[in-house]
Amino acid sequence: MKVSKWSEKLFGTPLFEPLVSFSYLFPLLYIVVFLIIPVLAMLAIAFSHEGHFSLYWFKSILTSSYYVQFPPQGDFAIKTVTATGETVYLIRGIDFGVVINSLVVAALVTLLASLMGTIFAFIMARYEFKGKNFFRIALFIPLLVTPFVNAYVIKKMFLDTGLINYIFYELLHILPFRIKIDGLAGVVLAQAMTYYPIVYLNAYASFINIDPTLEEQAENLGSKGFHLFRTVTFPLALPGIAAGATLVFIFSLEDLAAPIVFQGDPLAKKLMSYQIFSKFLYGLGERSPEIAALSIIMLTLAVLAFLGIRKYVSLRQYAMLSKGGRWKPRVSKPKPWQAAIIYVVLLPLLLLTIFPQIGVVLLAFSKQWSVTVMPQGFTTEYVKQMLFNPDVRRYIINSLMYSAAAVVLIVLLSVTSSYATSRFKGVLTPVLESLVIIPIAVPGIVVAMGYFYFFSQVFPNTPLDPTNIFSFNPAFVLILAYSIRRLPFSARSVYAGLQQVHVSLEEASMNLGASRWKTVTGILLPLISLNVFGGAMLSFVYSMSETSVGITLGSLNMQYAPITAFMKDIMMSAAGSAQLAAALGVLLITVQILSIVLVNIITKQRYAFIGLT
Amino acid sequence: MRKLVEVKLENIVKTFGETVALKGIDLHIKHGELFTLLGPSGCGKSTTLRIIAGLDFPDKGRIFFDDQEVTYLSSSERGAVLVFQNYALWPHMTVYDNIAYGLKIKKLPKDEIEKKVRWALQLVKLEGFEDRYPTQLSGGQQQRVAIARAIVVEPKLLLLDEPLSNLDAKLRLEMRSEIRRIQRELGITVLYVTHDQEEAMAISDRIAVMNVGTVEQVGTPREIYEKPKTEFVASFMGKTNVIPAKVVEREGDKVTVEFEHFRLEGLTYTDKSDKVVIVIRPERISLHPIENAVKLEGKVDLIEYYGFFIEVVGMFGETRIIARTISDKDVMSLKPQGPVTFYINRDDILVLPKQL
Repeated sequence: MKVSKWSEKLFGTPLFEPLVSFSYLFPLLYIVVFLIIPVLAMLAIAFSHEGHFSLYWFKSILTSSYYVQFPPQGDFAIKTVTATGETVYLIRGIDFGVVINSLVVAALVTLLASLMGTIFAFIMARYEFKGKNFFRIALFIPLLVTPFVNAYVIKKMFLDTGLINYIFYELLHILPFRIKIDGLAGVVLAQAMTYYPIVYLNAYASFINIDPTLEEQAENLGSKGFHLFRTVTFPLALPGIAAGATLVFIFSLEDLAAPIVFQGDPLAKKLMSYQIFSKFLYGLGERSPEIAALSIIMLTLAVLAFLGIRKYVSLRQYAMLSKGGRWKPRVSKPKPWQAAIIYVVLLPLLLLTIFPQIGVVLLAFSKQWSVTVMPQGFTTEYVKQMLFNPDVRRYIINSLMYSAAAVVLIVLLSVTSSYATSRFKGVLTPVLESLVIIPIAVPGIVVAMGYFYFFSQVFPNTPLDPTNIFSFNPAFVLILAYSIRRLPFSARSVYAGLQQVHVSLEEASMNLGASRWKTVTGILLPLISLNVFGGAMLSFVYSMSETSVGITLGSLNMQYAPITAFMKDIMMSAAGSAQLAAALGVLLITVQILSIVLVNIITKQRYAFIGLT
Repeated sequence: MRKLVEVKLENIVKTFGETVALKGIDLHIKHGELFTLLGPSGCGKSTTLRIIAGLDFPDKGRIFFDDQEVTYLSSSERGAVLVFQNYALWPHMTVYDNIAYGLKIKKLPKDEIEKKVRWALQLVKLEGFEDRYPTQLSGGQQQRVAIARAIVVEPKLLLLDEPLSNLDAKLRLEMRSEIRRIQRELGITVLYVTHDQEEAMAISDRIAVMNVGTVEQVGTPREIYEKPKTEFVASFMGKTNVIPAKVVEREGDKVTVEFEHFRLEGLTYTDKSDKVVIVIRPERISLHPIENAVKLEGKVDLIEYYGFFIEVVGMFGETRIIARTISDKDVMSLKPQGPVTFYINRDDILVLPKQL
């Protein structure tokens, strides 16, 4: 066989093998063509003005008081007195301008989510208490994604006539006045409640993975209580917590659902994600390069956060697993004051954070929900509409088909890329490793805008051209976007599977005369099939609920639109019905629960949802 | 009929990043012999094995099976079948399917596959286990399946990578003679890798002792043990006394060497360097007078009782020398710190150049 110098350098094997080259080059080129180049296309537009390279758009954004405003405008809370003589404090947040608002919101959401996530993770990892199983299940509930409806219920909870005021003002009299939370403050609450389980999962895994002997040694030397936590436990768990926190930061930055739901208050519109979205969808005629520039700013912030955490985590990769396997976890009974915190503070907090999902289900079966604490009346009309109205069914089928197609691509991409990066050590290995994980750091709205510029320039006047008003078919573009955006979930799972298969199992096969192809299909794939399946299900579930690209490019031709574009439409229009959107939300929740249960049954392990490290 | 091969390695060089794993290895393994690569961990013996198996490729040098160059032939085309240290049994296949795998690749007819698998199972004494999965087998049984899987394809060359290292002591002895028996029955060329010198001595026709990426010596077990050519080989092949010394007189092949205040005359030495080590096996030191002997007078440092032998550690100046005896009488008169005399036949004293 021929010895190839460049194969050795690039792929780490001196024999040129088509399957190995394909495993490297297919995912590599796919991500470059469908992620890197579209983003670069947008970069070119953002940096040009009147045909020249220019910082014009960035200058115009960063010097406009609409985008950056110091000192901030507005009052944090406004006091009003109702006709019945009750005091209501309206909390909206203050306006620093679009760019800074996004940063402030993302930072606050990250802080709140990290605090809640870490506290819940710590009690779940270290304490044995009555009702722990309820906590365990409940903590998964906020992870069930229902775009828009979730935030809608949260908005209702924090109305002056909502659940929060009912409990804390009317029932318990803890609040001396009514509060109403709207605007940016509402967005912060909605996002924090939605995203804190991401920190929880990462933090929980970190606490569980701390070698108990490390803490026992510290105790043995006289450390205890909070000192032990501060000096040993927390520092060891911090990389995991920080990884979860970074994800929350990026998710908050790119989130569109909460700003769209809270857009009744104009302050909620003053976020980068919303601005890109609305300038894109409602821009008349030519879309301004300002959109591209704003996308680049958002991308830069997200990528900086991502690179920061990667650097930090890789610097602090503690090799904590002592050789020889499992240990007995450090679990103890809480002291009375700790139990009090668990039942009096954390349990109600947990119940509040799972209320949105409960509210979605109630809403789907209700006649109306205006200013009452709970939705009113019972009807199955909306569920029937969802199941039998051919228009609604079309959106569901679109989403199912796009997601299924994306999953096929994702499986191919994750298997090839993981095989290449786990089995060969060419110079392309670290490149591919980074490319596979980088979609996490690219906000969905940035992908959408990148695709918009890319496909309108490269395929003008074809069905792939989003500016081609009457004949644009978003199917292909959406499948691509889903496959790129949801790739990291699956790739991580497959890579983990490959790491558990000792390479000698493949070597033995080839050594006995099997080809590379036969070895991969006959030995490797059967051994990692559960990981492939788990990853594929996760990617499918998150493709179904993909929002950013779906509600922008996907809504340009409603005949081919996905479910999320339709949900956005009915949530945003005055004539729309939140109940129908809620019914679709219930459908998504059902799909998610079924998938998770299926994965758990088949792979016999609790599936980690989202992680970064 | 099975075609046995002769294996030749010419100047094999292999680096991993900055580290040079093999610094130019030359080896010649003959038809039908059981040849062992012996050395401490990290000496390059497993790398050599993997390069012969086609699982790694050298940076420089060539490999021949008989007259055919196979240096860059892929593992699947090479026919040098490896039994992995961890056995590498596929957990999702039964014992039968594991063993039949290589035959199915060759697209043999079904009944012939069955016949051969039965033959292999019989050879490794595992009849009746064909429907078990690897996880349902003990370590020794897994080892047998791995060997059966390799020999059933009638390899030109069988490669064994530390095959006994995962077995307990008793099983190790049993499998060692099993492997020797199978090799003799089949008359197959076997390349065996181990770090255990006793195992290597017991099983091999010839041994290559390796150290930091080079071959130090090739020879029969007896040659390697009795006539080590380097200080490393001498000290690696079992417990021995290695005493730094200096050549003070030469007369042809005969030299006089000196350590501490002891002068040893009439020893054989041909190398040019004057810095040497004296190598004496503990069991070749006598505690009572013998013929043609060098006499060393010193002090008893320790007497250690091992059951079937006794070791006496003597102090000669600052130098400790160990003598081994099986006779209680030899040690009855000895006391710690008391005087002792070691008698060593001149032919049992090796003088080797000191390793840098």
